[in-house]
Order: sequence, then structure tokens, then C-alpha cells
Amino acid sequence: MTDRSAAPARRAPRRSNLYFVWRGVLGDPVARIAAGIIAIMVLAAAFAPWIAPWPPNAANPELRLMPPGTPGHLLGLDNQGRDILSRLIYGARLTLVCGIVPVLIGAAISIPLGLLGAWYPLLGGVIMRLMDVLFAFPMALLAIMLAALMGPGVANMMIALVVTLIPYNTRVVYAAACLERDQAYVEAARAMATPDLKILFIEMLPNVVAASVVYSCTIIGAVVITAAGLSFLGLGVQPPTAEWGIMTSEGRSYIFNAPHIAAIPGISITILVMAFNLLGDSLRDSLDPRTRLRLVRTAKDRT
Amino acid sequence: MNLVLFALGRLASAIPVLIGVTIVVFLSVQLVPGDIALSILGRMATQDQLEALRESMGLDQPLVVQYLRWFGALLQGDIGMSLAQQLPVAQILLPKIGNSLILMAGSLFLVLVFGFLLAVLSAPRFRSVTDRLVVALTLVLASLPVFWLGIVLLYFLAFKWKLFPISGMYNVINPGGFRDLIHHLILPATVTAASSIAVVARVTRSRMIDVLNEPYILAARARGLTRRQIVLRHGVRNTLPTFASIGGLQIGYLFGGVVFTEIIFNWPGVGLQLYDAILARDIPMIQGCVLVVATVFVLGNLVSDVVVHALDPRND
Repeated sequence: MTDRSAAPARRAPRRSNLYFVWRGVLGDPVARIAAGIIAIMVLAAAFAPWIAPWPPNAANPELRLMPPGTPGHLLGLDNQGRDILSRLIYGARLTLVCGIVPVLIGAAISIPLGLLGAWYPLLGGVIMRLMDVLFAFPMALLAIMLAALMGPGVANMMIALVVTLIPYNTRVVYAAACLERDQAYVEAARAMATPDLKILFIEMLPNVVAASVVYSCTIIGAVVITAAGLSFLGLGVQPPTAEWGIMTSEGRSYIFNAPHIAAIPGISITILVMAFNLLGDSLRDSLDPRTRLRLVRTAKDRT
Repeated sequence: MNLVLFALGRLASAIPVLIGVTIVVFLSVQLVPGDIALSILGRMATQDQLEALRESMGLDQPLVVQYLRWFGALLQGDIGMSLAQQLPVAQILLPKIGNSLILMAGSLFLVLVFGFLLAVLSAPRFRSVTDRLVVALTLVLASLPVFWLGIVLLYFLAFKWKLFPISGMYNVINPGGFRDLIHHLILPATVTAASSIAVVARVTRSRMIDVLNEPYILAARARGLTRRQIVLRHGVRNTLPTFASIGGLQIGYLFGGVVFTEIIFNWPGVGLQLYDAILARDIPMIQGCVLVVATVFVLGNLVSDVVVHALDPRND
């Protein structure tokens, strides 16, 4: 639209939220480590067939229940004689997918719901009352009920998780959209007779999305745990597929003679969830006006 | 008086939510894939049995009529018949609710005590070593999957070091009253409480940090109060409403954990019953368990709202 070179050169750059996210997260060493851990796990999952020493379901019954350090099997073998390290690497795939995909789909549904709800008060009232009802169920319980009734399986588990996540994310978007609704730029757009939907999804969306993204990042850890928990209950991923929740569940029967079978996938879940929680905290801080300046300043001091 | 009015108002607003809960639980049966009667009775059922069940469940009626019938029965305490045990769901669930509430109460106690202690320990020493340790501890606690923590503590504390019994609520051979119950309760309650302790500690801590930066704290310091007096009199007092509301919110999350701890420690509560019902695909039982938990959750939140209201110094 305008010639960029004509803009005054000395004008302070307009700091978008993205800038603060970038500087804040990269400037925070803890967040960098967390992002690194997640990146390693994602890469391991993506290249599993090349990294894993054995196929995930290749069993060697003679070595079953052998502890970590068995030659050729770094992390030992499980009750069927399958290599735990290989199953861990392959299992990262479903563990990550089941943690992240429902959050993405949930956000994709919640953002329009929250925006429309904030714009049309009547619709908003209906939507938020519906959400109140869903809030009456503890998160894990709602997911367990839905998954149990729809029948076991990865797809059904993800649907259950999405439904469980929608009320939380919608409330976040709704609150953010209600604040944006009263801003001058929205009024200006209205004065220019911009169609409602255009105001909502072109003008307001970018300002509302940040809140939803941050919320989504802080919730991924909890979703990973819930998804693994559903698989642990036998409602999600089905054996013999490798996934960390179901690996913990399979190891439960052998804790007294081979505790490593349940311990190793559990530790992996904890590390992954911790990394997501740290990254989410850092993201939230870098978007919070009260803390973000401090983060950016310390980042500058260091460089 | 003011408080009574507030409590009544909250109770009134909880009723539509509870009715909504029954609608969701009722409609959730529609999620069962295929013919409900067939999935309840199994493939071996004859055509006559299927017809009889459809009629007794009112499956040939419109949904609204079905719901009203179901809701009417519910108000009389009839949640339906357990398919696996051929007994009324309410009759099976009633004793289990008590057992689950004991476990919940034990965990809630731990959550409130340790969540509060960690916050009071860390907030006045913002950014000190103690504070950082507490923050790190809460991070680890919040990231532990409850089912895994249960297995680990079971292995070390109950199996290896034999400090606690491995499973159940009472000693089967020689059941011994309250002390025996507490002995059995400690492990499952700790496991259930772990992640909620972290949440309560973090929220309470950050609220207390804000409180301690208020001008009236500065004024108190100027009047010569010691740090201990400031923290205990002003800091704690003004943090209490936040503490009570986040503590109350944990009731629901605790239940999410209770399902897993009851399975791992074989605690005869609603969670274990729910698990058995899932394995047996006992649909009325699943509905009953969810209904009970959601009701406890809504009522628990109601109580915590009233407590928060009572604790807020501005409402004195």
C-alpha cells in the first residue's frame, strides 16, 4: 500500500506481540532448553524408523523383562521382549500427536466461537451458558466419559479431548474479544460499514489469537498427560501400538519384578510435559505486559 | 445474613448448571456407536430381548420424552440398572461415593496444607534460593502423570520399603478402624494431591507476591512491624480469598486423579467402579459415576465460592 522506504527511518519500530514472544522466549535460557527438548523429541518421532535400533514390535522372548543395559538394548526389554528404547522413539509419535492435535483443533473451534459470542451478545449468552455446563465436569472425567462411550481408539480419544478443551479456550478467546470489541479501531471499522464478519475475522482476529495461542501452549502439557492417561485406561491407543501411556499401563503388571518397563515411559512423559509447561510459562510471561519488558531487557543485556 | 443470601444466590445459579449436566450425561448415550440395545445386550441377544429392552428404556420414544422419563426417575434416585451386576446403579454407587470422598478429603487436606506452606515459604523470599527451589518443585509436581507417580510410590514405599500397604482401604484379614484407614490413605492421597499442590502453591505464591508489593505493606513496615508479622497478618490475610478459590477449584481436578489412584491402589471408590464399568461397557454405570462426580464437583465449587466470599476482607 504505502512505500516503505518513505517511512521515517528513525521511527521506533512497532512492536508486535510476535516480537515479544520471539525475544522473550529466545532470551530465556530455560525456555530455550525446553524448546530444545521438545525439538529433539519431535525429530526423534519424525525420523523414528532411521533412529530406532529395532522395529517397535519386534519381540525377542528370550530376553523378556531384561533390565536397562542389556547388550543391544540400551533401555532394556519389556514383558514381550520388545526393545523399550525403540518403542519409546516410535511411541513419541502418537504421544506428541495426541497431545498437540486436539489443542490445535480445539483452538480452531474456540476462536470463532469466542469471537462470535463476544460480537453477538445473545449468541454469546447461549454459548457461554453451554460452556458453563461443560465446565461442571472435571476435565479428565469428561474426556473419560466421552471416550468410553464412543469406544476405544485414537480418533475417538482425540474427539473427546477436543470437546473437553473447547470450554476453556473459548472462555479465554471470549474474554480477549470482549476487550478488543471496545477498541477504537473496531469502532472505526464499524463507522466505515465494514461487514461484521470482516471486522471479526480480519480486524479483531490477530489481536485475539495471541491469548488463545498462549493458553494453548500452557495447556499442551496437561493434554499430553490426559491423553496418556486415557491410553493407560485402555480408552485411547490400543496395543500393540507403541505410545507412552499404554507402555506405562503394560508395565504396571510387572512393577514388582521389572519396574523399568513402567518407569521409563513415565519419565519420558514427565520430561516432555515439563518442557511444554516451561515453554508455556515463558510464552505467557513474554506476552504479559507486566513482565515482558523485563524479559526483553534482560535479553538485550545479555547480547 | 449477607453471606446466607449470597449462598442462596449461588445455589440458585447452580441448579440450571446441574440440569445441564443431566442433559449432557443423558445425551452422551447417543455417542455409543450403532444400536444401543444391541451394544448393551451383546451379539448373542435375540430379537425379542432387543425389543423388550428398547421398550423398557423407551428407545422408541422421542428424545425429549426419553429425557423427561430418565430425569423423573433420576429425581427419585433411580439412575438405572447396572448391566454388569444387574443391580440398581444407585445402590452400587452409594457406598463407593463415601469411599471416594474419604480419598478426596485426604488429598484436599494435603493440597491445602502443602500448597499454602510452599506459598508462604517462597513468596516473602521472592527470587531467593528457597523461592527457586519451591518453583522448581512445583514444576516437577505439575508435570508428573498421576498414574505413573502412583506406580513409582507403590513400588518404593509400599513394595520395597514396606512403609505402607499396597492396596485397598482396610487390612482385609484384620481390619483395624481409623488408624488402619489413615495408613492405607496416605499413599493414594499423596499421589492424587501432587499436581494440585503445585497449582495451589504457584497461584497462591504469585498472589502473595503481589500482595506484599502493596502500599499497605510498605506502611506496615514503616510502622516497624517485623517481616514475620507482616507476612502472617497482612500477607496471609489478603491472600486467603485467592487461596480458597484455587483450592476449591482443585476438587474437580482431584477427581480426575482419583480415577487413576483408585485403580492403582485398588481403592473401592467411584473411580475404580468407573474403570470396571468402562471395561464391561456398562453404560448406565458409566453415566451414574459421571453424574455423581459432576454433582460433587458443582457443589464443591459452590461451597468454595461461599468460603471465598466469606474470606474476602472487602465483604466484612
